[in-house]
Amino acid sequence: MSAAIVVENLVKDYGSFRALHGVDLRVEVGEVFGFIGPNGAGKSTTIRVLLDLLRPTSGHAEVLGTRDLAAHPELRSRIGYLPGELNMGGKQTARAHLEYLADLRDGAGTDRIEPLAERLSLDLDRPFRGLSKGNKQKVGVVQAFMHTPELLILDEPTSGLDPLLQQVCLTLIKEAAADGATAFVSSHILGEIEVVAGRVAIIREGRIVETENVAELRHRAGQHVELTFAGDVPREAFDGLEGISEVTVQGRTLRAVLRGSPDALLKAAAAHTVVGWAAQDRTLEELFMDQYRSDA
Amino acid sequence: MSAPILRRILSSRKRPIALWVLALAGVSAMYTSVFPWMEKMDLDDMLQAFPPEFMEIMGYDDIGTASGYIGSAVYGLIAFALLLVFAIGNAGRLIAGQEEDGALELELTSPVSRRTIYTERAAALWCQTTLLVVGLFVATFGVSLALGMDVPVVDLLGATLGLWLVGGLFGTITFAVGAATGRRVVALGTGAGLAVVGWMLNAIGPTIDMDWMGTVSPVGWYMAENPMNSDFSVVNTLLLVAGSAIAFVLGWVRFRSRDLMT
Repeated sequence: MSAAIVVENLVKDYGSFRALHGVDLRVEVGEVFGFIGPNGAGKSTTIRVLLDLLRPTSGHAEVLGTRDLAAHPELRSRIGYLPGELNMGGKQTARAHLEYLADLRDGAGTDRIEPLAERLSLDLDRPFRGLSKGNKQKVGVVQAFMHTPELLILDEPTSGLDPLLQQVCLTLIKEAAADGATAFVSSHILGEIEVVAGRVAIIREGRIVETENVAELRHRAGQHVELTFAGDVPREAFDGLEGISEVTVQGRTLRAVLRGSPDALLKAAAAHTVVGWAAQDRTLEELFMDQYRSDA
Repeated sequence: MSAPILRRILSSRKRPIALWVLALAGVSAMYTSVFPWMEKMDLDDMLQAFPPEFMEIMGYDDIGTASGYIGSAVYGLIAFALLLVFAIGNAGRLIAGQEEDGALELELTSPVSRRTIYTERAAALWCQTTLLVVGLFVATFGVSLALGMDVPVVDLLGATLGLWLVGGLFGTITFAVGAATGRRVVALGTGAGLAVVGWMLNAIGPTIDMDWMGTVSPVGWYMAENPMNSDFSVVNTLLLVAGSAIAFVLGWVRFRSRDLMT
């Protein structure tokens, strides 16, 4: 399998500040790859190197088989890029902006502006400047997808969109992937993209700390579970159960972290009268905290 | 030639460009049309009241002829100032301003080279400057014809060419600094600062017997004693062209290799 993106030992300095400390990435053709990390970790910096906005301090990036990105601007006709924060300014309508961007790509994608705008319920005839953050984001989504690019590079595509439109956006990514496109999707929230991503890389403070299948990562991150009982329960009944850790009991409420199957927990709980049940995916930040602890 | 970036800038800025052309032409026509009326009043008496240094600084020393008046009051002052304000302000936005507010990001990540973006945006500056000076020439020449003023068309063309080049030069310097740094304030400061220093060198030099001051100033290359004087200087014209060319190339060398959208 050939690679859509290869990043090797990429270092990027802004003056005396080192934003990237030797990033390595390999995204295979046809995969949906998540790029996860907290704000300021270096996601956008890495992405901007891939688009030749930034030039590496050392190391290199190869996109769709092209190594010298600066010498091949035409390569970008095969890329759909959604910036993290989109601004186009001016009193021009969203339609005028999109038609201009199509013009810069020799007209590619002009015919997809209308149908995409309709799917995202975006009014094309309003001035860009007056659009809400969510509507601006939709304009960005349309221009990233309209020319059916081989490679989608999406910086926080779901931010600013309401849950319904997040779904539409994720569906667009899935459809593009089904047609053979590769997608490189960043987010600071794993949950937002885990339904589409096969593998993810986690970046922290300019370093890739992990490259992993989403399912495996999700298993490791686990869930917070909270069980409420009709009466007081003994903590000892739940300590050391398979997949259960960090058990605390406060009166009738039990809290724990669950990784993997809830079977053992449920069987133990069934010995008592359960009146409430809640589970919530743990965040990436909590996963990082686990990592700190194991590193320490 | 398709030039999508240039076409886009010009078409999206139709209204401000039209307003600037009208403003520059209108103000200049107004100033020009006052001359016959001023000529009837005995200006010399009034002007005697001013110290000669002031007259020299303001370029009013040969304000008594129609040609001299247009050279000092219009091409040497009001039209010069307006054109520079336009060129510098516009040039600061073309790359630096739009990069700072993020509007340039999708153009920079489109399949268009940095070279194309740089040249088409510089071309947009020159096209707009051209429209302004053409409007200025038409208005000034029209008014002078209508009022039967003695203004040699060759001199007016020479002054217009000079103004176009000096406006384009300060615009190009601003544009190039903006492209090189990505900072609009730095670009505007450099362009406007150099224009003010250039004007002062040219205006003050002769009054303190330091003629070299005008010789090193681009404003001096344009104005000499009066932009309307009939001895057209090829050397000064070439200096103005060379200045723009050098600024253009230096801006490009940096823009080509620097980090964008930081």
